[in-house]
Amino acid sequence: MTGVRAAGWAGAAVLLVALPWLVAVALPGQERYVLHVAVFTTLYAALALSYDLVVGHVGSLSLAHPAFFGIGAYAAALLATGAAWPFPAALLAGVAAAGVVALVLGVPLFRLTEHSFAMGTLGFALVTQIVATNWVDFTGGPLCVTGIPKPALGALRITTLPGFYWMGLVAVVAVGLLYQRLTTFRLGRAFHAVRDNETLASAASIDPLRYRMLAFVIGGAVAGGIGALYVSYVGVLCPGELGVSLTVALLVMVFLGGVGSLRGVIVGAVAFTALPEVLRMAPTWRMVIYGLLLLVIVVRAPEGIEGLLRRGGARRRPASTGA
Amino acid sequence: MALLEARGLTKRFLGVTAVDSVDLAVDTGELVSLIGPNGSGKTTLFNCVTGYLAPDGGRVLFRGRDVTGVAAHRIARLGLGRTFQLVSVFPRLSALENLLTFLQQHQEESVVARLVRTPRLRRLEAAAVERALALLESVGLGARAHDPAGTLSYGQRKLLAFAAALMPDPDLLLLDEPAAAVNPTTIQQMKEQIRALHRQGKTVLLVEHNMDVVMDISQRVVVLDHGQKIAEGPPEAVRRDPKVMEAYFGR
Amino acid sequence: MADLVEQLVHGLTLGSLYAMVATGLALMFGVVRLINFAHGEFYMLGGYAFWYGYRELGLPYPLAALAAVGAMGVFGLVYERSVIRSILTRTWHVQLIATLATSITLTNLAILVFGTQPKEVPTPLSSAVVDVGGVRLAWQRVVVLLAAVAIFAGLEWFVTRARLGKAMRAMSQNREACAVVGVDVQQVALATFGISAALAGAAAALVSPLFNIFPDVGSLLTLKAFAAVIVGGFGFVKGAIAAAFLIGVAESLAAGYVSYAYKDAIAFMVMVVVLLVRPQGLFGRRIGI
Repeated sequence: MTGVRAAGWAGAAVLLVALPWLVAVALPGQERYVLHVAVFTTLYAALALSYDLVVGHVGSLSLAHPAFFGIGAYAAALLATGAAWPFPAALLAGVAAAGVVALVLGVPLFRLTEHSFAMGTLGFALVTQIVATNWVDFTGGPLCVTGIPKPALGALRITTLPGFYWMGLVAVVAVGLLYQRLTTFRLGRAFHAVRDNETLASAASIDPLRYRMLAFVIGGAVAGGIGALYVSYVGVLCPGELGVSLTVALLVMVFLGGVGSLRGVIVGAVAFTALPEVLRMAPTWRMVIYGLLLLVIVVRAPEGIEGLLRRGGARRRPASTGA
Repeated sequence: MALLEARGLTKRFLGVTAVDSVDLAVDTGELVSLIGPNGSGKTTLFNCVTGYLAPDGGRVLFRGRDVTGVAAHRIARLGLGRTFQLVSVFPRLSALENLLTFLQQHQEESVVARLVRTPRLRRLEAAAVERALALLESVGLGARAHDPAGTLSYGQRKLLAFAAALMPDPDLLLLDEPAAAVNPTTIQQMKEQIRALHRQGKTVLLVEHNMDVVMDISQRVVVLDHGQKIAEGPPEAVRRDPKVMEAYFGR
Repeated sequence: MADLVEQLVHGLTLGSLYAMVATGLALMFGVVRLINFAHGEFYMLGGYAFWYGYRELGLPYPLAALAAVGAMGVFGLVYERSVIRSILTRTWHVQLIATLATSITLTNLAILVFGTQPKEVPTPLSSAVVDVGGVRLAWQRVVVLLAAVAIFAGLEWFVTRARLGKAMRAMSQNREACAVVGVDVQQVALATFGISAALAGAAAALVSPLFNIFPDVGSLLTLKAFAAVIVGGFGFVKGAIAAAFLIGVAESLAAGYVSYAYKDAIAFMVMVVVLLVRPQGLFGRRIGI
């Protein structure tokens, strides 16, 4: 990496970490609100990245991601409230629960082709929500799980908004690093081969099922972890969180930003979370806009913002000589 | 023991018998062509032998080992390379990356090792890159190594697919219509490449419609018609076989 | 015993609904190979159209029903022209996301326009009860069943006798050949969507007197109809109809005897079981509608 780029990264890192203080200075009186949005943005970004692993890199159009988010959230929430599990254990439980379910579910699901797979995942997401809503004895149903304790690791406790923001930042950086590692070099090539030409991937000795499962399970497990972090921040968990609106949110983030691209997905997550707050739209209107936006993007600009940025960059750079 | 053997191979689709009890054997080092009119079952046979279709009857043996119905990626791993009739590359990967993709699974590495990128893996990768670049040079694509495969012309993609199949150094290479839909220069290139492989002792089985190519390079020719084997032998003998002429031209 | 029969009849009513919606889905998939994720919204909008005609405009029931069917038919044509045209040649990913996006937009627009309170549209027939050997049924249920049978018979006649219907069947079997022979592929696609939407509208007009109309009614319905399409064997209309009735009856029995809360999961469970045992669907992979 060149010196200029490294300096750029370092600068961005400093800005991101220092955000709470910058906000206090630039927008006094608004810190609580802005930081709250920032926490959500980081968690959503991490969630969107885990989703993009499945949709963007191995090409499996799964609609089950909210279910894994929910499973991790409920596992962590119930263990922390009901069995007084400490935060790190609850977090791991969330990751493990979601991962195991993804593994068990993946086996039959990946026997389905295309549309059936998508519908199967959607059906699973819907059933998960139905179970969460109706199994009142276990999940509290519509009465929600309340009193979820804040994160604590020994003497270290996260109780303030800046603290939660930094937790979210760590999460998105960690997920981002994992994402980067998974989508480049040999693993990245294997995933992309399965995505772009499954038949040819087989001829290259790549087992499509194995790599689809790998992305699906890792994506699901990470989603579960984000769910656990989410409930530790919000403190309350209701079945409505697992609904189709989260599916739509993820699709918009990933496709708006740029499916299959780290930068794109993060941009998409920021745009998706920050923009509506700026525009102060009512939730229903928001969904109408998202629906239309998603429709237009996927039809006209399927590469999202990242694609537009890349094309703009290519135009500005002089054409390279080549055969 | 033949390197590849199909015994009584049968495949049916919706009432049509595409491959009807075909016996086919290819010995190590042979260069065999599989010909026949359109719809005679050649590609279906290929697909059964390479694990893309499960036969309805008969067996497939590779190096004496029964691989009937084994999944395609596992058969490829055993040392059987192939190309496809509709030329297949990974369009978003560069030409170089296309070739690297074909080698990596032959170098067993756990997921963790690939995540961490052990030094051993990096060395393997560097060696793979060298090999890939050399292969690309040999098919005349050296200059396009870093271009996305989707930007190559049809003939270039065909050569790329050919090079990719060679990357893991397979013992047996199945080529599905290597001379189809390309200009005469590329056909010449292909013929040279195949001959070179033969000289190196590689075993090649190709499906081909271009009779010049078939007659020119094959040691042995097998003829299919309506899923059945109707003739087999040296090119000249097959060319004169009345059954073969009937299959192609009718009575 | 009477209880069981009542549940069965309820199941047949449900099945009729699912079958009519699933038929539309199967037709669209069969003819243009596209899964319309927004199909449940055709039903939802048809329901509101019916409510508007019957309740707000005070039209007599048959007229209001026809108005709903007609309105949805037109909507289907508009939908095909606007959304579907631009995604027909794209990958199934794009098609799925685009139609899902349309579904979200329509559902939320419905919330904005009609509000979240469910609309009740009882007709004289939904409260009038017929007593058949100790079993009490609403007349409307009988109407639903008879109408469904009539509609399916009409559809069968259509694809075997009518020119447009035969073209639809031909296209579902071999699209390329149709284009070569001179079938107007665009027009057939357009008609398919109009008919599928009209079918959903008919379902809404028939079933709304028994169930409520609310903006979100489409999403679960899409899933169940899709389950029927999968179980019946993709694109095979008769299979989808049979599967839809199976799901309807299973759901009704489960709601009555197992658990009402989880009844919506039944369709999904049937789908999972069938897919695990017979992935090509109950009737195998057929070609054509």
